[in-house]
Amino acid sequence: MNAVWQVIRRDVTLAMRSRQEVANPLIFFVLCASLFPLGVSPDADFLRPAAGGILWVSALLATLLSLDSLFRADLEDGALEQLVLTRHPFFVLVLGKVAAHWLLTGLPLILLSPLLGVMLFLPQDVIAVLMLTLLLGTPVLSLVGSVGAALTAGLRGAGVLLSLLVIPLYVPVLIFGTGAVEAAMQGMPYNGQLALMGGILLVSLVTAPFAAAAAVRISLSA
Amino acid sequence: MWTRFKRWFHQWGSPKGFYERSQRWGFWLGLAALILIPAGLVWGLLFAPQDYQQGHSFRIIYFHVPAAMLAQSAYVFMAVAGLVVLVWRMKVAEMMLKSAAPIGATFCFLALFTGAVWGKPTWGTWWVWDARLTSMLILLFLYMGVIALYGAIRDRQIAGRAASVLVLVGVINIPIIKYSVEWWNTLHQPATFKLTEKPAMPVEMWAPLALCALGIYACFAYCLLLRTRNEILEREKRTLWVRKLLTKEVESGV
Amino acid sequence: MNPVRKQRLAIIAFVLLGLAGAVALALYALSQNINLFFSPDQVVAGEAPVEQRMRLGGMVVEGSVLRASDSLKVQFDLTDYRGTVTVQYEGILPDLFREGQGIVAMGELNSDRVFQADEVLAKHDEKYMPPEISRALERTSQAAAGEEARPL
Repeated sequence: MNAVWQVIRRDVTLAMRSRQEVANPLIFFVLCASLFPLGVSPDADFLRPAAGGILWVSALLATLLSLDSLFRADLEDGALEQLVLTRHPFFVLVLGKVAAHWLLTGLPLILLSPLLGVMLFLPQDVIAVLMLTLLLGTPVLSLVGSVGAALTAGLRGAGVLLSLLVIPLYVPVLIFGTGAVEAAMQGMPYNGQLALMGGILLVSLVTAPFAAAAAVRISLSA
Repeated sequence: MWTRFKRWFHQWGSPKGFYERSQRWGFWLGLAALILIPAGLVWGLLFAPQDYQQGHSFRIIYFHVPAAMLAQSAYVFMAVAGLVVLVWRMKVAEMMLKSAAPIGATFCFLALFTGAVWGKPTWGTWWVWDARLTSMLILLFLYMGVIALYGAIRDRQIAGRAASVLVLVGVINIPIIKYSVEWWNTLHQPATFKLTEKPAMPVEMWAPLALCALGIYACFAYCLLLRTRNEILEREKRTLWVRKLLTKEVESGV
Repeated sequence: MNPVRKQRLAIIAFVLLGLAGAVALALYALSQNINLFFSPDQVVAGEAPVEQRMRLGGMVVEGSVLRASDSLKVQFDLTDYRGTVTVQYEGILPDLFREGQGIVAMGELNSDRVFQADEVLAKHDEKYMPPEISRALERTSQAAAGEEARPL
């Protein structure tokens, strides 16, 4: 447990030394979400029902952009090799890295989302639901994404490839996340969707770290 | 029994053994596909009775259902191969995984395409975003991801293992496809063929369908063997047995 | 227990616990019945939103289809055997649209609780049979008193 904590602290400290890189995905999130009123229609009648989907897709893309650096720097300077060689089971350390990634991107995204929700005319109680779905969903984005990031860590210009590998796996979370927001908007119960998102979170929590750890080992052997 | 299985496994597991043994199998599978698919299609498209509600447009079932079944089976096959690659580091399994991906992707696309053609007259739309169609589309994306990953990694062994991890992660989609029509109120009808029950259609309708399905599986196996054999020659081109084989073929003027 | 085994056991327990939790949550979600469309019953009960895009699914009531002679306007009733809603639509209906058939309509309820559809999709089942057999079946089922209502 202590080892996980150390990994998280190390990653957060490193990220805090280059704050711009932490801020970039968040700025992208805001920009991406504001493209829709500009590009499609600034009409509240269009934006209100679409807001949940817009914010979810923007959050998904922002997470995707930040994933590329999850293992890359550590792979290049050899730190990842050292982590594999420690006596701790490697998947636990991967879990630590994923947790740090979520703290640096997922959590800020959730905190930013009400601001954008208001700009897209979401009712207040629906904003709360949106934040709840993001709270359940962004960890999944980080966990599942870590597998893709690990597979492509050693490749040059892997950004597009990473999206290609990971986006299909993101679809279920996106569907249930936006589904819950939509249900809340229509005044219908949304606990079914939330329960499914919780289930997806648990499954990815207990499987993704193993897959990512195996993928890191494969990338290291290159 | 077990020792025989183990011997069989090892014989097929070495590239040389696979190459030698697959020739004869390839011939029979190719022949089976060549007979079964035309027979099933001609029977189904020209002679089977039309449906009481959909009329002639239901006949697309004779291609749509086998293609969709194969697209999923090919993915499961790849997942099993991926497991073998990761656990036993078996070279041939890795080559088969690589060879299966484009075939599976093709059939997945064909299933989606024929489904759209079927959907227009019967449902009234080319495409709906319901659970079955969406999960099938994701399957196509997963296939493309595997192919792209192979294309991106230079080192073949590492590419094979990376693809295995990806395939195994994506296998979660298969039960979703299978049960999507039961879990959700989808527009897509439930499964036509089930292992446990008799299909809900008379024999003169499902018999050609069974022929088509068997034929398409034979066709898949044939293409898979052909592609894997190519892959073996390509990768083992520096080994003695491939050189000998090739010089022999050159000398005999093939 | 030696530390390696202890660790392995902890890992297995972690995975199993996670999967069990996921299964429990999934079962709960399924019991909540996430519907892709509303049923006429829900519309009658006032559970469906008014003047908002939604899907409505049900069976077309026998003998309720009225077609305008000079345009493509159609009106019919949808039922789930507990409630009935009138649907209005303008456009070409799919081949499989007929009375007694299950369909899904996209559109919105107006304030008079009439459903204004802009898209009608026909749902069909996995049963296929030649027309002669279906006619024969109909004859026998008409002979038998009281036809069984097939739910969507």
